[in-house]
Amino acid sequence: MATNTKKRYGFVIDVSRCIDCRACLVSCKVENSVPEDHTRIWVRDLGVEGEFPNLKQTFVPYNCMHCEEPPCVDVCTSGATYKDPENGLIQIDQEACIGCGLCLPACPYNVRYLNPETGKADKCNGCIQRVEQGLQPACVQTCVGDARTFGDLNDLNSDVSIALKNAKSVQRLATDDVDTGPNIYYINGDVMQASLLPREPSYASAETFWRKVAVPAVVAGVGLSFLGQAVFFAKQLVDGEKDFEE
Amino acid sequence: MTQLFTRRDFLKITGATATAVAAGGLLPASVAKAARDAGLIDPNGDGYIPSLCEMCVWRCGLLAKVRNGRVVKLEGNPDNPHSTGKLCARGQSGLMNTYDPDRVLYPLIRVGPRGGGQFRRATWEEALDLVAQNMLAIKEKHGAEAMIFSSTHNLSQVQFENLLNGYGSPNYGTQRSLCFNAMVVAFSLTYGVEEPSRDYTNVKYVILVGRNLMEAISTSETRQLTAAVARGAKLIVLDPRFTKTAAKATEWIPIRPGTDAAFLLAMINVIATEKLGDCDFVSRYVNGCQELPQVMAEYTPEWAESKCGVPADTIRRIAREFAADRPDAMIHPGWRTSNFINSFQTERAIATLNAVVGNVLTSNGCLVALNPEASGVKLGKPPQPAYPRVTALRLDGVPWKYPLVPLKLGIFQNIRDAILTGQPYQARGWFIARQNPMLSLPDRRKTAEAFGKLDFIVDVDIIMNDTAWYADVVLPEASYLERYDPLNALAGKIWLRQPVIEPQGEAKSALWIYKQLGERLGLGDYFQYADEEDYLRQQLAPTGITLDELKLRGWADPPKEEKVEEDLKFNTASGKIEVYSQTLANAGFSGWPAWEEPPAPAADQFYLLTGKVGQHTQMGTQNNKLLNQVFKFQGLWMHPSEAAKRGINQNDKIRVKSEVGEVVTTAYVTQAIRPDCVYLTPGFGHLSKGLRVAYGNGASDSDLHVTYTDPISGGQALSQTFVTVEKA
Repeated sequence: MATNTKKRYGFVIDVSRCIDCRACLVSCKVENSVPEDHTRIWVRDLGVEGEFPNLKQTFVPYNCMHCEEPPCVDVCTSGATYKDPENGLIQIDQEACIGCGLCLPACPYNVRYLNPETGKADKCNGCIQRVEQGLQPACVQTCVGDARTFGDLNDLNSDVSIALKNAKSVQRLATDDVDTGPNIYYINGDVMQASLLPREPSYASAETFWRKVAVPAVVAGVGLSFLGQAVFFAKQLVDGEKDFEE
Repeated sequence: MTQLFTRRDFLKITGATATAVAAGGLLPASVAKAARDAGLIDPNGDGYIPSLCEMCVWRCGLLAKVRNGRVVKLEGNPDNPHSTGKLCARGQSGLMNTYDPDRVLYPLIRVGPRGGGQFRRATWEEALDLVAQNMLAIKEKHGAEAMIFSSTHNLSQVQFENLLNGYGSPNYGTQRSLCFNAMVVAFSLTYGVEEPSRDYTNVKYVILVGRNLMEAISTSETRQLTAAVARGAKLIVLDPRFTKTAAKATEWIPIRPGTDAAFLLAMINVIATEKLGDCDFVSRYVNGCQELPQVMAEYTPEWAESKCGVPADTIRRIAREFAADRPDAMIHPGWRTSNFINSFQTERAIATLNAVVGNVLTSNGCLVALNPEASGVKLGKPPQPAYPRVTALRLDGVPWKYPLVPLKLGIFQNIRDAILTGQPYQARGWFIARQNPMLSLPDRRKTAEAFGKLDFIVDVDIIMNDTAWYADVVLPEASYLERYDPLNALAGKIWLRQPVIEPQGEAKSALWIYKQLGERLGLGDYFQYADEEDYLRQQLAPTGITLDELKLRGWADPPKEEKVEEDLKFNTASGKIEVYSQTLANAGFSGWPAWEEPPAPAADQFYLLTGKVGQHTQMGTQNNKLLNQVFKFQGLWMHPSEAAKRGINQNDKIRVKSEVGEVVTTAYVTQAIRPDCVYLTPGFGHLSKGLRVAYGNGASDSDLHVTYTDPISGGQALSQTFVTVEKA
């Protein structure tokens, strides 16, 4: 379900310029009040490769790819996860999310987590709250090596388009089997490594779907005024079933 | 434009809030008064306040986003040449430094045994009276010299120095001998400047000798180097460890520790004998260059290979490449350079190499023989009387045992021996501010013993760090987001650190604490300011800039003295760059850069390397929860071949022993280190139970480090400790 959004916000990441300083991780955490021991973004370190003294090490900034064909949107029956028709960013409506967690295995990049403080799914939102004010996402704004850029890939004069035009090499983390149209473009470095490539999205089986989504959805459908109770009930259903999940 | 968050955006935001204030909205009482007065906060208590970071000593400009009297986010100030709009991981985490649940928010007086961690809350009145009483008693009974003062580089240091100089003690400890003594002394003698500025604008070839710029981050310089590499500059990294800088290098040379000088002397040999230097520059500005081919004759690349393990051909090639790219080439002067007892010679060789190829202060040279902090700005200061004359010898042996070590650098690590031996006299008290010698000095057991011999220890800090834990009185300082400091002059401009929130608890600024103490010690004349803002107004007086305008923008552009362009003159005895130094020769040392054989480990021992990570600053940030989440203590780095010999696997518990102590930690087996070396990230292994995140996390290299002092520069040789490693 490729969509043609007006803008196409995405990231262009210059792998050669990432120094793994992790300023982006802290900046994101503070900006978005990400709970302790969770994160919305990563610097994936591929480890030291080679034999002493012929070594190399690559650092790969990583977060939600804001895909063109996002499996997380497909599996979200509450309609909380959606692709913004204005700018293409994948967003989670925190009010609507029932915290079923089905979107976590659906994401081929494992960028989602369940926020223990809110009980809702959470991930990179492209710092849309900053972007709307004319600021850069928190990670991009403070990127010491200028590895991260963000902007409208449809706009030929944007930072991201210019970076792409001047790149020595361009890669996206997609394979012949799994290509959900990721909107992070990696330039000037080789990131096509098994540990970074997407896996098959894991969709819920009919049985799990019934237990985790359909029942809560019906309950939720009773009416908005009962939403609070519905979510509570849905969570009980889910939690109550935990022992049988294996 | 590479960043959206520009000065224009910032002005747009603050402009809007300033208008709101002018409209006369009521302001919440909890918001910092200074910010309100300056018009930075809107009626809802929201806004951005410019100030200066203090998560390391680089002092990046920041914009603090505040909401209802709380800091909610920090951004780099795009106006500031050190932040260039960016903050590193430490800078980004700065609000957690302020909101650390382990902050010391009230004066504390020890009640149990020293180091037992039992304190009671006291009033400022009581705590300050007690400190003054003890300091006066020591002065009266034993003389002012029996009191040691120590503090690490910071903006309020000028008033700290007023306190110690007014009191009359010669004993001043700084972090400098644990850091850059070798560089500062070598460059002062060679170029007449403590630290040459670097210019990366046109650089094509950079050699870093143990300078790990991608992890020991100085935001602007790290960015300049990254940009240079991205546009194709070659980066050569000499380091026994495969650091993140090495990962970004064109060429990583895993040199044997302590032998950088051999590599560099051989480079001089090649450049001198093959006449690859800049003859014009050399003949006019460099003293002693003509003799270099003879003086350096013995330092052939083949000789160097036998010392440092780098093939002679590699050294020869790098010397030629470096010379070919002159003047757009640079061997970085280094930073925390006191690694080996011969590190001074390493620095002299670096200074010489940059001079002979003409990289220094030519029209587009990469090194400028001007202190990077030289600003040309004339600031005022409160009036004060002259200091009392001090005749007592310094406990660290400067200059009576170490004639070339500048007084303001000193030899911090030597103070403990003086305390323990009572020679040349017995020290009685120690006033420590913003420093953690209990963890930063080598040989922690010795530090603890020295503490035990003192009658009185007082510590100024924002958290209960290890030194505070062993103190008798702890005075709580306001954090850098809660206080004013004296002005910072940088790049011809004046920069302000101002409170972006009210101090929490009863924390106070250093300017306030030193003044209060000074008055109780009868030294009020050295502290002639009513409060912090009055101090700043006196500093600003000659510039015609008002404090209010400074608060609003965070910086100001004062009038500067016009500099007359003269022919190059270096601030040395001869007015030239002194590759040959008569001063050194007169003091009984080699006048030429020379090889000094460093000690080497026995067959079953390793070099214990020290280093840096980009997520922590020295010993001070390990309790910061945000940073603790983005850097986990790794244990002892060791090469797989050596680990295998000892039956050690990844994460195994191991015992590491040196001649002064031992630690038990875990093994981090990695290809990224020479087989004859091990490495432990410094700053971990805190002793204070008042630090709930840092306590019990990791091991400290200060338990292992042996104290070795370079006789020329006074630097502590921090990588000269040899250890054995076994399964625990």
